[in-house]
Amino acid sequence: MSNFVEVERLGKVFSLPNGNTYVALKGIELEIRKGEFISLIGHSGCGKSTLLNMIAGLDSPTEGIVLVDDSPVKQPGPDRMVVFQNYSLLPWRTVRENIGLAVNTVLKHLPKQERDRIIEQHIDMVGLRPHADKQPAMLSGGQKQRVAIARALAIRPKVLLLDEPFGALDALTRGNLQEKLMQICEENGVTAVMVTHDVDEAVLLSDRIVMLTNGPESKIGQILEVDIPRPRKRMEVVEHPSYYSLRSEMIYFLNQQKRIKKIRARKTAAIARHGLEKVNLEIGFLPLTACAPLAVAKEKGFFKKHGLDEVTLVRESSWRGVVDGITGGYLDAAQMPSGMPIWLTLGGNNNQPLPIVSALTLTRNGNAITLAKSFYDQGIRTLSDFKDYLLRTRDRRHTLGMVHPASMHNLLLRYWLAAGGIDPDTDVSIQTIPPAQMVADLRSGSIDGYSIGEPWNLRSAVEGFGFTAATDLEIWLGHPGKVLGVREDWAAAYPNTHIALVKALLEACIYCGDRHNAEELREILAREEYVSTDKDYIQFDEPDANTCSLDRPMQEYAHHQFYGEGINRPIRTEHLWIMTQLARWDETPFPRNWVEILERVCRVGVFSTAARELGLDISYNRSSIQLFDNIPFNPEDPIHYLNSLKIKRDFAVADVIIDSRTPQKIA
Amino acid sequence: MSMSINRSRKNNSPLATFQNLLSDKKSRKIIAPIIAITIFLIVWQIFSSGPDANLPGPFKVVAQTWELIINPFFDKGATNKGLFWQIFASLQRVAMGFTLAAIVGISVGIVVGTNGFLFDALDPIFQVLRTIPPLAWLPISLAAFQQSNPSAIFVIFITSIWPIIMNTIVGVQQIPQDYVNVSKVLQLSRKEYFLDIVFPATVPYIFTGLRIGIGLSWLAIIAAEMLIGGVGIGFFIWDAWNAANISQIIIALVYVGIVGLLLDKLIAYVAKLVVPENK
Repeated sequence: MSNFVEVERLGKVFSLPNGNTYVALKGIELEIRKGEFISLIGHSGCGKSTLLNMIAGLDSPTEGIVLVDDSPVKQPGPDRMVVFQNYSLLPWRTVRENIGLAVNTVLKHLPKQERDRIIEQHIDMVGLRPHADKQPAMLSGGQKQRVAIARALAIRPKVLLLDEPFGALDALTRGNLQEKLMQICEENGVTAVMVTHDVDEAVLLSDRIVMLTNGPESKIGQILEVDIPRPRKRMEVVEHPSYYSLRSEMIYFLNQQKRIKKIRARKTAAIARHGLEKVNLEIGFLPLTACAPLAVAKEKGFFKKHGLDEVTLVRESSWRGVVDGITGGYLDAAQMPSGMPIWLTLGGNNNQPLPIVSALTLTRNGNAITLAKSFYDQGIRTLSDFKDYLLRTRDRRHTLGMVHPASMHNLLLRYWLAAGGIDPDTDVSIQTIPPAQMVADLRSGSIDGYSIGEPWNLRSAVEGFGFTAATDLEIWLGHPGKVLGVREDWAAAYPNTHIALVKALLEACIYCGDRHNAEELREILAREEYVSTDKDYIQFDEPDANTCSLDRPMQEYAHHQFYGEGINRPIRTEHLWIMTQLARWDETPFPRNWVEILERVCRVGVFSTAARELGLDISYNRSSIQLFDNIPFNPEDPIHYLNSLKIKRDFAVADVIIDSRTPQKIA
Repeated sequence: MSMSINRSRKNNSPLATFQNLLSDKKSRKIIAPIIAITIFLIVWQIFSSGPDANLPGPFKVVAQTWELIINPFFDKGATNKGLFWQIFASLQRVAMGFTLAAIVGISVGIVVGTNGFLFDALDPIFQVLRTIPPLAWLPISLAAFQQSNPSAIFVIFITSIWPIIMNTIVGVQQIPQDYVNVSKVLQLSRKEYFLDIVFPATVPYIFTGLRIGIGLSWLAIIAAEMLIGGVGIGFFIWDAWNAANISQIIIALVYVGIVGLLLDKLIAYVAKLVVPENK
């Protein structure tokens, strides 16, 4: 009984009038358990209705097969009853007669009395008793769809197939019907597949959400498990901690599909100019104070100065967008959290190693850990206070947000918690949330705190719903924050462009590091195309102590460092430390060939060339890494260091083989 | 509503009352045609009152045919019968021919509409046959039936069947895919499919065909009767022409027009009763 509906290698090819063919769906694999509610979601024309019709048997696949209850689907049948978007009621029959047609045809073997009882029972089930003798034209849209649902359920289908059932209804009616459908499905253990384009509807109703990529050759892009317990209530699910992350995951997916479509349509070739291999660059960034060097390089003309005439800054809403942009090859370069180059190189993204190189550290510091104001009100000030609190409230789930597994925020947050004896995986729940959404989540109370770059810590303190529990000062002063990352094959293809890019950004870093420019920087960053926030939230100096209305000044502010001795150099020891932390929390294996990987990721040579050409003094004193807990980090023996840590996961040590030159794929 | 009441209270002159009657949509529906007919009759009277007028004016028509108007039921044997009997005889022929055409046309239409091969095979033939004028069929049917009455009925049949067939075919072909899907999912048998889906879904189209068909039948019967003789309004007109009784022709034409209108309204009324209120 485990897999009730099985879709195997399903594909559909349409022949077009001009003799060509259109591959609508390809290689669809889906297994549906009995009693499961599945939603199919995707953009218009992605083939979700075609997939549903093929399960229904109304459309025949050109390859692959659908099995329902172990028998192949060859034609439509009442065991796979469909609820159509436009209701499909027969207008010359009353409500009772419409349901009756289905019951009397499909359940012929039952005595008439029994059939009549079923008809009446289902009229009552959808609450249409007063309208039983009306024809559909006299009913509202919602009532018609209720008839269609009653008609479908009355014949006891093995699978209920719904094709955008609530698409044409107004919001209020839709909400009521969704609850009704959910209740009926739960009570009767109905197995259902629903096509929808409404993300909220999908989260509310589904056990799993199947997201299809855009056509041609649509396939299943991602499947989300909805872990919200049943019975669900429309008003209550929104308060579940998973709700918004599921929702944003879907919206991200759908937006990404839209973007890929645009990129496919655009797809420009490299423009070579001024002795550079490529001057048209797309550089990804996230709206954070730390994006200052990129914004400045663009606004103050440093890109142009170094020959990069056509730089477009692409504002991503989450680090995942950066990851997809780099792996998909439609971003030339990106501002990355300092752990991302190593993480991508070691196969952190879907276990597919993608060699990334970093030749510039853009910023240091500027991160902090914020906890909800309610903790402060309960007297929690320090890490040990927080630990005591967690011990007291073991029955509750405490969720902390961070922006990406490979970001320094995640690694520092975990390090901080673990140093205080809190296991970041068992004692709390750490979730990935896009930076800009965290503030809203903390305000609404769906998370208890977060670790993030500015301006978001300052903002929660100013607006009075969070307080800064620890800043870089207390964890690791001067840690690498954001770095410049490009694909290794990109760096190999455009070596001079790479150096020019580092030069432009390094000059921008110098500009940002000059305190006299702070005011102008704040003004630039606050703009809509960058951080898009109130200027007051962007601080480069000590923020006014008054901005935090609590009874004592908040933790000292660890301001961003953009330029200075040893600030911008990519440092291997730091990347090694990141490597150990990623292995510690089992994000990636620890590579036995770590020396080789560090050599490849950390391009000190490019940085040195760029700095020398700018005439900068790049002398630098190697110093050891020192964190707040004073546990020494010995870069000569990272595995021994890892083993010496008390709180950690079962990490793997393995050879990570990365192809020297993966061919560049453009999405 | 209250505004029009106020207005009529203020102006009580006859002209104002008349204007009010015209501005009310319901009374206008009656008054406007009366005005138009009156003007038409006056113009007709003026044009036909000259000394060399070939056609009689309305007063003369009524005066000369007064016997026929007040006594439509007389029967003096042979073709000398009142207008009622003349029209009744024509209607009988139409009823028979049209009923046959409806039965055959709807059946053929449904079969051809559901079968792609038959449609492709027969559609060109239908397209040619439907353009043949009704009277062109008459010699053939006279040759085939050797009798005037069945020939006339056949002409009615063959004239009115094309619009019925064509509209039924379109109706079947236009059955919304949703209804077809419902029948597929419910696995309706062929009989259930025809009775529960195809026929009801096609009814509005069928009635459109029937309305066009009945109009054509009435057109055809007048012409056919002129040629085949016997009792019937068509031959009555022809007879009057031979007797140079223009007034009789005119009064017969009025009756023909009114009956044609009534037939059309009758089908429309039946359609309204049968066809579901479907947006």
